[in-house]
Amino acid sequence: MKIDIRHIAKLSKLSIPEDQIERFEEEMQAILSMVEHLPEIEGSAVVVDTTNTMELRADEVIPSASREDMLMNAPQVAAGCIVMPKVVE
Amino acid sequence: MNNKYEIVVGLEVHAELSTKTKIFCGCKNEFGAEVNTNVCPVCMGLPGTLPVLNEKVVEYGIRMGHALNCTINRATKHDRKNYFYADLPKAYQTTQDDVPLCANGYLDILVGDETRRIGITRLHIEEDTAKLIHADEFGGTLIDFNRCGVPLIEIVSEPDMRSAEEAKVYLETLRTILLYLGISDAKMQEGSIRADVNVSVRPVGAKEYGVRVETKNVSSFSGVYNAIVYEANRQIEVLENGGELFQETRRWDDAAGKNVLMRSKEDAQDYRYFPEPDLLGYVIPEETVEQLKAELPELPVQKTLRYMNECGLSRADAETIALSKDKAFFFDACMATGKCGPKLLSNWVLGEVTRVANERRCEISELPLTVENLVDMIALIENKTISNAAAKTVFEIIVDKDEKPADIVKAKGLAQISDSSALQTIVDSVIAANEKAINDYKGGRTNVLGFLVGQCMKQSKGQGNPAMFKDMMIAAIENS
Amino acid sequence: MDKLYSLSAKSMKELLEKREVSSVEITKSVIERIEKTDKDVCAYNSYNFENALKNAEAVDAKRAKGETLGALAGIPLAVKDNIHVKGLKTTCSSKMLENFVAPFNATVTDKLNASDAIIVGKTTMDEFAMGSSGESSKLAVAKNPWDTSRIPGGSSSGSAVTVAASQVPFAMGTDTGGSIRMPAAYTGVLGLKPTYGTVSRYGIIPLASSFDQAGPMARNVDDLAMLFGAVCGRDTKDAVTKNYTFDGYGDSVKGMKIGVPKEYYGEGVQPAVKERVFEAIETLKAQGAEIIDISLPSTEYALAAYYIICCAEAASNLGRYDGLRYGFRGSNTSNVEDLYLTTRSEGFGDEVKRRIMLGTCVLSSGYSDAYYKRAKLLQQNLAAEFTEAFKSCDVIITPSIALTAWKFGEKAGNPAEVYAADICTITLNIAGLPGMSVPCGFDSSNNMPVGFQIIGKKFRESDILTVAKCYENAVGGFAVKEF
Repeated sequence: MKIDIRHIAKLSKLSIPEDQIERFEEEMQAILSMVEHLPEIEGSAVVVDTTNTMELRADEVIPSASREDMLMNAPQVAAGCIVMPKVVE
Repeated sequence: MNNKYEIVVGLEVHAELSTKTKIFCGCKNEFGAEVNTNVCPVCMGLPGTLPVLNEKVVEYGIRMGHALNCTINRATKHDRKNYFYADLPKAYQTTQDDVPLCANGYLDILVGDETRRIGITRLHIEEDTAKLIHADEFGGTLIDFNRCGVPLIEIVSEPDMRSAEEAKVYLETLRTILLYLGISDAKMQEGSIRADVNVSVRPVGAKEYGVRVETKNVSSFSGVYNAIVYEANRQIEVLENGGELFQETRRWDDAAGKNVLMRSKEDAQDYRYFPEPDLLGYVIPEETVEQLKAELPELPVQKTLRYMNECGLSRADAETIALSKDKAFFFDACMATGKCGPKLLSNWVLGEVTRVANERRCEISELPLTVENLVDMIALIENKTISNAAAKTVFEIIVDKDEKPADIVKAKGLAQISDSSALQTIVDSVIAANEKAINDYKGGRTNVLGFLVGQCMKQSKGQGNPAMFKDMMIAAIENS
Repeated sequence: MDKLYSLSAKSMKELLEKREVSSVEITKSVIERIEKTDKDVCAYNSYNFENALKNAEAVDAKRAKGETLGALAGIPLAVKDNIHVKGLKTTCSSKMLENFVAPFNATVTDKLNASDAIIVGKTTMDEFAMGSSGESSKLAVAKNPWDTSRIPGGSSSGSAVTVAASQVPFAMGTDTGGSIRMPAAYTGVLGLKPTYGTVSRYGIIPLASSFDQAGPMARNVDDLAMLFGAVCGRDTKDAVTKNYTFDGYGDSVKGMKIGVPKEYYGEGVQPAVKERVFEAIETLKAQGAEIIDISLPSTEYALAAYYIICCAEAASNLGRYDGLRYGFRGSNTSNVEDLYLTTRSEGFGDEVKRRIMLGTCVLSSGYSDAYYKRAKLLQQNLAAEFTEAFKSCDVIITPSIALTAWKFGEKAGNPAEVYAADICTITLNIAGLPGMSVPCGFDSSNNMPVGFQIIGKKFRESDILTVAKCYENAVGGFAVKEF
């Protein structure tokens, strides 16, 4: 299968310089070619594995973290919030 | 609206659930808290954090699924929906893709004189996003994570609605059910219910659906109505002008009363769904599903029909009571005493009781008024112990104090006088004092009778039985 | 006492309990050792010496007062730089998180603290744990102590190196496709990838969430088990963890059945590696184990399935690094879209970008059925084959890795070949099984260590450790690099 690196890069929010597109394409193609040799196997994977399930959490409040700790890695903070460039819709 | 076309509408409704905590962490789920205080590494999506599913969210989802007559998928799982947006700190939303909690249901709604059945495609549980606050004074946009991770249910309908009115009624009915079940605050002004509206149009009689356009970001009942009318008109205009419609996503601007293009089909998102690897699947016990079904209260549409068919209320009164959980529960509690009939009761519930609750901006259930006292009072009206006028005096007391209406009537001497000899004395004195009116009556102006009865009532200080006064007055004049 | 740093954790514990040495003395010795040798092996991204000494003092004080102490009381160790230790940086050896300070502890860290262990630093790794050589680190690039011109293996390169170079007795690594077992094999130490769901993943920056598992690395079986016992168990913050109690291990393989799957000894495996592994199997046979030939035919497809699932999850896990809330912020901040692009393009290395794009590709519309869903089916089939194989044996033995440590840069530009070397280890992550790499001599052509892998049934780490302990006794212990 042919990979459209530009499309995939766009979906991934990555910009790949034009001169590197070919290299990425080759490298990824080599990996994906392993997949192309997968056998045509019958059946389909189990959608919900009922033999391996999880426990749910009770609806009980756990004290929240301090705002200071939660914002300590933010590049810019104002009015108790992270500031980011203006979102234009 | 051009009547050559039929409108086809489907709704995707998001409702925030009123659990104590968020869906995947133990932070408080509350509206209006100080920014970024109900937050932790999990709901902020910090690297290395993991979700742990709140069982109450599943329970609430199932309750709603039952109310919408859905099949409950007892073995279910969660999936990631991947996309980049500033309000989504993990760059994916943990939601449900191919195995929603509930599916294949329906909701009956009352539109005009008709009961319409709207198909429910699915209902699933997912997490809400952060709130972006546009703040030019800080040179950008602020992020508040308090809402991030608040549990949502998304209810997707079939394209079964045929008018903006139907869609509005559908949404109102959903909202009432959420309130009945006590699983959501359902306050549209706080954004706890939001709708995406799918609209297409087709020539009347056509079998195929037209091109569907999604309008996002609708957050009021009138907005839903207006967004559908606007979009349907837009589509019809395009078609009438020989244009072509495209499957696209538009954004509703409530203030401007119009929608704008958000994404064309070419820019359609590729969400790359896959199973959420941080969670395992789970199986909801059959007993739990059955128990939640058994606990389902009677829902608004059923109530409306019952009030009409069994209580003989008008459609308008029945619906007004049923669409309010508060009114309906109070009405039902009163009915359950078996002490009074439905008609007078509904008049009082929709009249004085609602008036006082509105004045005080509270729920009926929050008034000091008790069910017992109200029904006792109405029974006194019904057995003619007191007049309506006297009842108002009783009501002003029992609305604030838990006093027995019968005691109040006694203490204040409000009981109607039905002793005919006492009434006759009053009638005779009114006749003696109003010679002119009597002559007028005899001369054919029978409408003075009201004045004469009123004089009797005045003399009896409101306690005389007006019907008896009337009869006795007529008899007295005719015999004179 | 000199060379306290070189003692086993078990010996340290004994000396501490007899009060012959203090934790401060041991910790100081370890710090000196790291200061002296780390410029050559580059095992660490950051040190935690000041806190370590404070914590050592606190443990000594607790001991002096006769308070109850945890199982690792006063013993120094290192943790991989993708495990959060509150207040220290968690960099994942990436420019993206170069200055990210952990605002909370991983559950593993909480458990280590509760055991009174002394964390001396954060060990380097392949960027975001993507790699099997250690070369993709954007910070410290660890060197193999046996030959510093050679790769130490990855992605837990620093944890392997700090143990192999006797800087600390043991360290925590993480393993998504062999990231504990491969560097363990390359550097001649032991490394255990526990059963999926045994050790909490909370607070560990993920690569592929359904494969990731943290585990111990050490120079001997007892130390490895000691560390494992301290970190395993159900965690309510990690929904996939199970109730698990580690119930110890023996030292005899008498009557045990060891399965040997032919698919793991194919052409890709270097002859020297095969020879050493077969010798190890012979040794265990001589100790009374029964050797059984088994087959795991889906193995040849495992690599493809692994990379599809791993990259799909990784691409999703790495979406959050967008420069808005934390971490590296790209050069163009004029609007959010440009910020995304410049942050991610400048902040991630090539290997990471390659895997993000691969993962995005296999999940994208029109590809998901051909790639992702097929991979999930293969995963299911492979797991079923292991279950079947384990009906006839107790453990399975394979090489840990097909190669021995190569020279830096030797395999650059050929990611597919490097990925292919992972074949022996990735199948366990796919099937969720526990596995451990144990040193078994050297490749005589380059004098680099060889390791064999013991695979156990789910939650049967005790079987693996029993076999390893028996082997360790039979060969008289493992070689330690004088460094």
